[in-house]
Amino acid sequence: MTDQKKSIDRLLSSLQERAKELNCLYQVEEILGDPDARLEDICPRILKAIPPGWQYSDVCQAKISIYNKEFASPDFRESSWVQSADIVVQDESVGSVSVYYIKEMPPGDDGPFLKEESRLIKTVAERLSHFLLHQKMHRMVVGWESALHDVSDGDSQEWRVVLRMLRLTDRNLYIRISRKLLNYLCWSGINEAEKLIKTAIPDQQSDDQELLGQTNEPRRRNGGGQSADLSTATFKIAAEHLNSDEILSLIRKWIQEDKLSFLVQIVNRNLSLSDVADAIRRYYHLAVDDPDASSPNERGIQVSLIRRFLSDQLPYINVIKHYIEIKDFYYLLQNVIFSTESHGRLGGKSAGLYMAGQILKKKACDFKILADVKIPKTWHVTSDILLHFMHHNDFEEVVEQKYKEINQIRLEYPHIVETFKRARFPADIAQGLSVALDDFGDNPLIVRSSSLLEDRAGAAFSGKYKSLFLANQGSKRQRLEALMDAIAEVYASTFSPDPIEYRAERGLLDFGEEMGIMIQEVVGKRIGKYYLPAYAGVAFSNNEFRWSPRIKRDDGLIRMVPGLGTRAVDRLSDDYPVLLAPGQPGLRVNVDPDEMIRYSPKKIDVIDLDTNSFKTIDIREFIREVGYEIPAINNLVSVFRDGHISLPMGMNIDFDKDELLMTFEGLISKTPFIKQMHIILKTLEETLGYPVDIEFASDGNDFYLLQCRPQSYSGQSKPSPIPKDIDKDRILFSANRYISNGRVPDITHIVYIKSDSYAALSEHSDLLAVGRVVSRLNRLLPKRQFVLMGPGRWGSRGDIKLGVSVTYSDINNTACLIEIARQKGNYIPDLSFGTHFFQDLVEAGIRYLPLYPDDEGILFNMRFLTGSKNILSDVLPEFTYLSDTIHLIDIPKNTDGKVMRILMNADLDEAIGILTRPSSEVADVDEAVEAEVKPQDRFWRWRYQMVERIAHALDPAQFGVAGFYVFGSTKNASAGPGSDIDILIHFRGDADQKEKLTQWLTGWSLCLSEVNYLRTGYHTDGLLDIHFVNDEDIANKTSYAAKIGAITDPVRPLPMMKPTDTLK
Amino acid sequence: MNQESFNPFSMAQLQFDHVADILDLDKAVRDLLRNPMREYAFNIPVRMDDGSVNIFRGFRVQHNDARGPCKGGIRFHPLETMDTVRALSMWMTWKCAVVDIPLGGGKGGVIADPHNLSAREQEQLCRGWVRQLARNIGPISDIPAPDVMTSAQHMLWMLDEYEAIHGGKMPGFITGKPVGMGGSLGRTEATGFGVIYTVREALKQLSIRPEDTVASVQGFGNVAQYAIRLYTQIGGTVICVSCWNQNDQTSYSFRKKEGIDLDALLDITDRFGEIDKAKAKELGYEILPGEAWIEQEVDIPLPAALENQISAETVVNINPRVRAIVEAANGPTTPDADKVIAERNIFLIPDFLANAGGVTCSYFEQVQSNMNYYWEKDEVLGKLDVKMTSAFIAVSELAQKRNLHMRDAAYVIAVGRVAQACRDRGWV
Repeated sequence: MTDQKKSIDRLLSSLQERAKELNCLYQVEEILGDPDARLEDICPRILKAIPPGWQYSDVCQAKISIYNKEFASPDFRESSWVQSADIVVQDESVGSVSVYYIKEMPPGDDGPFLKEESRLIKTVAERLSHFLLHQKMHRMVVGWESALHDVSDGDSQEWRVVLRMLRLTDRNLYIRISRKLLNYLCWSGINEAEKLIKTAIPDQQSDDQELLGQTNEPRRRNGGGQSADLSTATFKIAAEHLNSDEILSLIRKWIQEDKLSFLVQIVNRNLSLSDVADAIRRYYHLAVDDPDASSPNERGIQVSLIRRFLSDQLPYINVIKHYIEIKDFYYLLQNVIFSTESHGRLGGKSAGLYMAGQILKKKACDFKILADVKIPKTWHVTSDILLHFMHHNDFEEVVEQKYKEINQIRLEYPHIVETFKRARFPADIAQGLSVALDDFGDNPLIVRSSSLLEDRAGAAFSGKYKSLFLANQGSKRQRLEALMDAIAEVYASTFSPDPIEYRAERGLLDFGEEMGIMIQEVVGKRIGKYYLPAYAGVAFSNNEFRWSPRIKRDDGLIRMVPGLGTRAVDRLSDDYPVLLAPGQPGLRVNVDPDEMIRYSPKKIDVIDLDTNSFKTIDIREFIREVGYEIPAINNLVSVFRDGHISLPMGMNIDFDKDELLMTFEGLISKTPFIKQMHIILKTLEETLGYPVDIEFASDGNDFYLLQCRPQSYSGQSKPSPIPKDIDKDRILFSANRYISNGRVPDITHIVYIKSDSYAALSEHSDLLAVGRVVSRLNRLLPKRQFVLMGPGRWGSRGDIKLGVSVTYSDINNTACLIEIARQKGNYIPDLSFGTHFFQDLVEAGIRYLPLYPDDEGILFNMRFLTGSKNILSDVLPEFTYLSDTIHLIDIPKNTDGKVMRILMNADLDEAIGILTRPSSEVADVDEAVEAEVKPQDRFWRWRYQMVERIAHALDPAQFGVAGFYVFGSTKNASAGPGSDIDILIHFRGDADQKEKLTQWLTGWSLCLSEVNYLRTGYHTDGLLDIHFVNDEDIANKTSYAAKIGAITDPVRPLPMMKPTDTLK
Repeated sequence: MNQESFNPFSMAQLQFDHVADILDLDKAVRDLLRNPMREYAFNIPVRMDDGSVNIFRGFRVQHNDARGPCKGGIRFHPLETMDTVRALSMWMTWKCAVVDIPLGGGKGGVIADPHNLSAREQEQLCRGWVRQLARNIGPISDIPAPDVMTSAQHMLWMLDEYEAIHGGKMPGFITGKPVGMGGSLGRTEATGFGVIYTVREALKQLSIRPEDTVASVQGFGNVAQYAIRLYTQIGGTVICVSCWNQNDQTSYSFRKKEGIDLDALLDITDRFGEIDKAKAKELGYEILPGEAWIEQEVDIPLPAALENQISAETVVNINPRVRAIVEAANGPTTPDADKVIAERNIFLIPDFLANAGGVTCSYFEQVQSNMNYYWEKDEVLGKLDVKMTSAFIAVSELAQKRNLHMRDAAYVIAVGRVAQACRDRGWV
């Protein structure tokens, strides 16, 4: 036998052992699943379950002793090869579990036993302990309640019965309650109670004296008997001053609070997730339905739990605390995978979805339609497991990746992915994933990142991290491997260049990379060899792509597709999703049959279960193959027959011959889908207080919510600030109707079609020629750096006079299409809103802007547009004769190097086109607003590197320096061209040293200032901003010292010159 | 509005004046035909989905009904004007006359953009339009049809409203209905086949056997596909077709010198007539630039795509072998190019005649609807052949006899027939 073979055998047998152990644990868990079972029934079953979990099952026997009762395997005999674990209830040992081998076996880690087996037996004992505790508590509560019930009618003194019961069952609680009652009576201003307190408890002063030892009387406090006397007296006073209902409700409240006290302790101490989970489980089993559920106590726990599991963002907590109960955590935690010492959270995506689900559940009483919204089965892996995983595989150095140059990161990323995919998962996590897989069965899964950064406002990491589909087919082992592979790949995506760049831009680089994982069942059905939802898509509260002036911004937008929603999420180059405004479902982007055919989805994303892969296939072929197997197909398609598009009726679709269009018409007009979607969007927006972006899918029967997050304004569609103090000469136009969000930077050319000259063209062929000129210019001008401005309806069919005759291919390189509505007589013509190629514009990211120059307060710089040099005759000499109509303006040549920038803000419903410096140059001072959104790497990175070098060159002994820290914009990667570098120095030296140090640093400061001037043209008197703190400051956390180790925006320490360096 | 600016109605009148000069029509006839017989303009109130009421402006122009009931489409267009509708109604009069079908010309419209209207609002608009005109239109007086931004659905709503008002079933009130709802079979083929009927007759006249001819087709949509099918059936060979490519945002020509295989190409073509470039290559087609179709060494270039494809710039590329140009598309030739074609003595079948198969089939739909008896496809296409053939022969004979260009001859015949009908009725 070769060594390799041996080691494989060893590995195999060890794996088999783990499986046996796991199996044993499951069985125990299952047996203990029924909280009402009797010990006599349970113990023999556990005894049976134990031996198969041990290595030498056939010689294994077990014994359980609880409360002096003993249970043992049949034919039990004791031996010297034994291991045991105590059963502990409320810190008291009440019995034990023991496992014996009846004859000597080869030695393991602990005698013949393996170390995993010791853990196993401990776990079994622990579970039994919990079980007993629950039973005990439950008995108490039930006993108390039945006592309550017995006396509930007739006797107005029922609280006395409750108290009697309490005194018998839980004396401590009885005393605690009497104290609370006494305090309550005092606060209510009852004199007897105050007297009682004074007599029973020495007053504050004497108490102090006692502590100071100035009295030789023993303290009369914790004597149980005397306290009981006190209690009796208290209750007596209470009976005189309060009515019995009042007393009863107080007692009830305090008992309830007391039940939570263990939970309070658990969540407030920084215990690991598994402890918290145990406490919640305990709470769940204890919890009795309580009308008065939201006591302040409970609210506190709730908030702690939210902070612990979901998010520490205040706005989030403020909302969700109204929609979540402690019990809900019990259900949530059932599906959370974490390691024993885990402290992580679920991450933004998970938290967002969970919150949305809770809100819709609660709101379902107001809107019945929300009750039908489902959330697919989801498991979560907590955020810190990424670190656990990296630690387990010694990947710590990867964390430093983010500080490298972006090109370096790009170069190294593929290797990181490979390394991650080869890595192993810690055993506890692998086990958790295995349990999750059992829960999912062989339904396809999607593994999504759920980064902690995702729930931070302003940083919606949409699509920055990976989401992976898994077909989840094959043997359990194959499926588990595929799942772990996918998670590793998602983990690796934390270190991919795009998110790192994105984080650097937003000053989030130093935020920990913890990332949760969300494993979600893919909504859908198996159809043939494919798995897919009937339809899926994304929906937004705010509609940023209005195709009709009748659509308001808050009418929302749905982008939906048949099959997996991937095609709706991303902008497509070769296909079109169906667009709808839920507030105006009747207004469609495409109305005539040609448009409807051209812009209906042609392809569909599916999971191929045979090849375990994600695929894009042709819809028509797919439908032809499977026909009515597609659920609710009558609601998804329209039939195009003989020029007529109609809804299918009954079973009248001929899948071989009929031309079917994916219109979702039935879904829209015959089902409550749109109404439901509208209410979901409105409810979430109103509750959360911000516009949302949701993902959804349906298997044909049910509607599922897959994701909910703030509607992000990624890149182009961010509302652009509109500067108000711009010189009128620099404004080319302004607009205030039907504005969408966005910003079109660096326009170098304008193609302006003059409205009146165009209308005055008398030859039809000239009108057509204008369209041809546009088409030619579209090919000649720099892509996405020119705008087309012209009268009326671009691309209009029919009367050519009403707009330049073009098709999409004639304008597809423009950055922005601008339609100008000039007053004609007493009316202003309608504009087209780009309807003729609306969907092409959307998918290509070409902006659309309507201008109404004759509106009051609107600026329209005719002088620039018609007065600038027209270069049409230079570019296209053969069309010189159209120079009166078409103005081609080279902006930089006419403005001394400036470009045009269009800023659009839908919130204000304002847009403006201004002349400005190109964004590649230094930003204008009056456009500092914009400076924030640009990549800033070049400003902070060299500052950071320099400050590192300064620290390294600083001899701490020579200058009496104990610590060197950097903070502010340099540390946060948000430094601008004029930023200084904030340095904090922990100083321990004398005045002379301080003088020298200051001199030394000033030298650096001036040098850096010069460097910065050469780089940016910004002049400053020194670049370093130095702050000194001493030991005392640090101890008192005064001034800048508070930033050392602070929770928010702490300073970062930098290594200084090492003593060895000094010797050199 | 600027007097000199482009006005479609003035343009139509100018064209008419030119033909009237050739025909030497007297003043009364000119006055009668220069302007429509009747014009209706009216308000259509529509209760919108949000409860408010919008007033839409509707039009119907009946240019001339001397030869039979007016026939013409209804356009929904946000910037519709009376002049546009007038011009189009006049063109309808000539179009029906040139193929000698017993119909006059009409056109209608509504100032509305369906993109801003829900389906329910559009239905109300259609019904409102019919309510305003119910007494002035009908199967024996004026027959609407679909046009810009109106479809079969709109026709069915209008028909339903009309029948509700008049209390009976009158499918002959409107055309463009789906088959089974009063529509006619053969409509898909009509235009493409009609084109080739005229080609066949033209070749006869030029004494060329179809088997000896080679053609190049611009476009691969409905019209082109059926034209190619019939042309191949009568023996011709198509060696090149061009079509649009959405991905590349440009067009390509697909050439196979021994002749394209229509069915093989259709297998790799999507519903917009876009041929799959890669697959075509596999099938052995040469992929040439979009404009290459016009340079091919063929007897017949057949533009069946867009307007203005044969212009002063491209006309010089036409191969010396070319004998006849067939305008399957609307207005594919610019006036400058027209002159060059005439100088080079290339036989031209004008759009107005070549693609009259569509309107002829509409007429057949109305005829069938009126008798509530629907023909098989063969019967429709057979009758279409007869109509197109005799229309072509009439035009070409006139062209020869009077030494006119085909385009002028077609107009002269059309206007002449209408003028004659007016005279026969004693109107002028």
